[in-house]
Amino acid sequence: MRLRLGRLALALAALGAGELRAQTLRPTLSASLVRARVRSEAPAVDQFSGSAFLGEGTLAMRRLQLTASYLQGTLNSDDAFGASRDLVEGTVLLGVRTLDWLTLEAGPHARAYTLAGGTQRWIFWELRARAATAFVGSAVRGYAALWRVVAADVNVPESFDHAQGGEAGMILRLARAPLEGRLGYRIDHAVLGGGTRLETVDGVVIGVGVVWH
Amino acid sequence: MTWRRHLAWLGGLAWALGGAPSFLRAQAPDTLFAAGVRAYRSLEFDLAAWLLRRDLSKPPTAGAPIAARAEGLVYLGAADLFRGRRDSAAAVFRRLVMLDPRYRPSLLVFPPEVTNLYDGVRLQTKTVVVVLPRDTTIVPGPGAFGIWIIASSFQLVDVTLRYEDGAPFRPLYSGPIGDSLNVPWDGLDAAGGLPAINRVVLRVASRAPTGELAGIVQVPLDLRLSRPDTLPLPPPPADAQLLPERARSGAAKRAVTGGALLSGVVVLLPAVVGGTDTQSGPRVAVAATVGLAGLLGYVLHRPGRPLAANVRANQALRDAWKQRVATTTAENARRRRDVRVAVRANEPTAIQPRGP
Repeated sequence: MRLRLGRLALALAALGAGELRAQTLRPTLSASLVRARVRSEAPAVDQFSGSAFLGEGTLAMRRLQLTASYLQGTLNSDDAFGASRDLVEGTVLLGVRTLDWLTLEAGPHARAYTLAGGTQRWIFWELRARAATAFVGSAVRGYAALWRVVAADVNVPESFDHAQGGEAGMILRLARAPLEGRLGYRIDHAVLGGGTRLETVDGVVIGVGVVWH
Repeated sequence: MTWRRHLAWLGGLAWALGGAPSFLRAQAPDTLFAAGVRAYRSLEFDLAAWLLRRDLSKPPTAGAPIAARAEGLVYLGAADLFRGRRDSAAAVFRRLVMLDPRYRPSLLVFPPEVTNLYDGVRLQTKTVVVVLPRDTTIVPGPGAFGIWIIASSFQLVDVTLRYEDGAPFRPLYSGPIGDSLNVPWDGLDAAGGLPAINRVVLRVASRAPTGELAGIVQVPLDLRLSRPDTLPLPPPPADAQLLPERARSGAAKRAVTGGALLSGVVVLLPAVVGGTDTQSGPRVAVAATVGLAGLLGYVLHRPGRPLAANVRANQALRDAWKQRVATTTAENARRRRDVRVAVRANEPTAIQPRGP
């Protein structure tokens, strides 16, 4: 499966390779605050919520782009007696902008929960589709992304079944400064053990980014 | 003895003119003139007069230099003088003065008897020669066109431009002339306007100091006005070049529909990805904010809203066009003022008054 994902990534890279010649890099950096919530049913329900820092960076060259993100925060149990857990996530996605408004991405998505008894690691290989277009003049762009996990490696007793997620929101770009504001909602949902374990992570993203044109 | 020599000369000349090959006949005028001059220098004045008179009786070929005819006349006049025919010599010299008032016999070649007679005739003969540029273009204004008049002797002249039918077009000068006179013409008619005709006649009437008409020289002048072409006015900006000055409904509709659609996606995202029991509060807040942004976008881009940037851009375009129109109008006004008159001088004609 990983081999196939590697080939897919190579194919995506090949699609954009023609654009590599003499192009300028366009980097984007953003920092966001994510109000995250984790709901785990296995089958007992555990819910955690808290704030996390999300840093993202994108390097784009014409139609090809490389996106990396890192999220870290501490989630507290909604149960007054529950223990808190640290959440760390990271993604590296290689994408190709196939249309002006549509980008296809693929890459690994790693998530780790630091628990008292050890670290729970989730590795997802994801395929994403992201659409974005301006809807209020050229200042406000709306975006929506959906992804599907095509392979996973999880160190939990239940076997991985399937997972998908999505994000939607808007980005406000300032006309006279290379700054942008972001407001969005994201959600991940994973099913393991034939439905015996459900993991849902969702949250609101509020961030500020810097764009170099 | 003398008549035998003359007979031999005439016999030789008859052979030369009648029996010589055709290529020699082609050079007959030169031969007559040269033979006449040689006869004059040999003091055979009768033969010289006969040869030169025969030479001068031939019609002048087109483009023949006046100087050549003048040389023939002065030798003929001198020969006649030395033949004792003073009146005939004076008549020949009068022809010479009429032909070229500037001509003066060489004091090294001709004796004082000849030059004195010539000067006497020249002083009594009132004629002029008009020197003009053959073809020129002038800008109407003071001193634009110079008419150089050279007189044989002191006299009175009336210099006028006339219509072809003889009616006066523009008087230029009336008064005395000694040796020569430059008469300017500004290229305009008597009213100070541009000439409305294509031809005028420059007429110089010579009069003796007593007022008696001595001769008239006329030079037809062809006139042609030339005005530079004016430039076409630049066309106003085309509609396609102008930006819309009022907002259209597209942007407003896009804001509302985009905001509503995106809000719906945010609200429905958990259902799409299969998430269960998610908190709706934060999600709805995000959806509401997105929807609000769409409504705000509708207000900002409402149909019919003045687009200040486009209005400014269009105004700049119109101002630039007006500036180009003003520049072109000024340039055309300058070109309309920049009228030139092409003057072409034709062959002069001389009119002599009939004697009493």
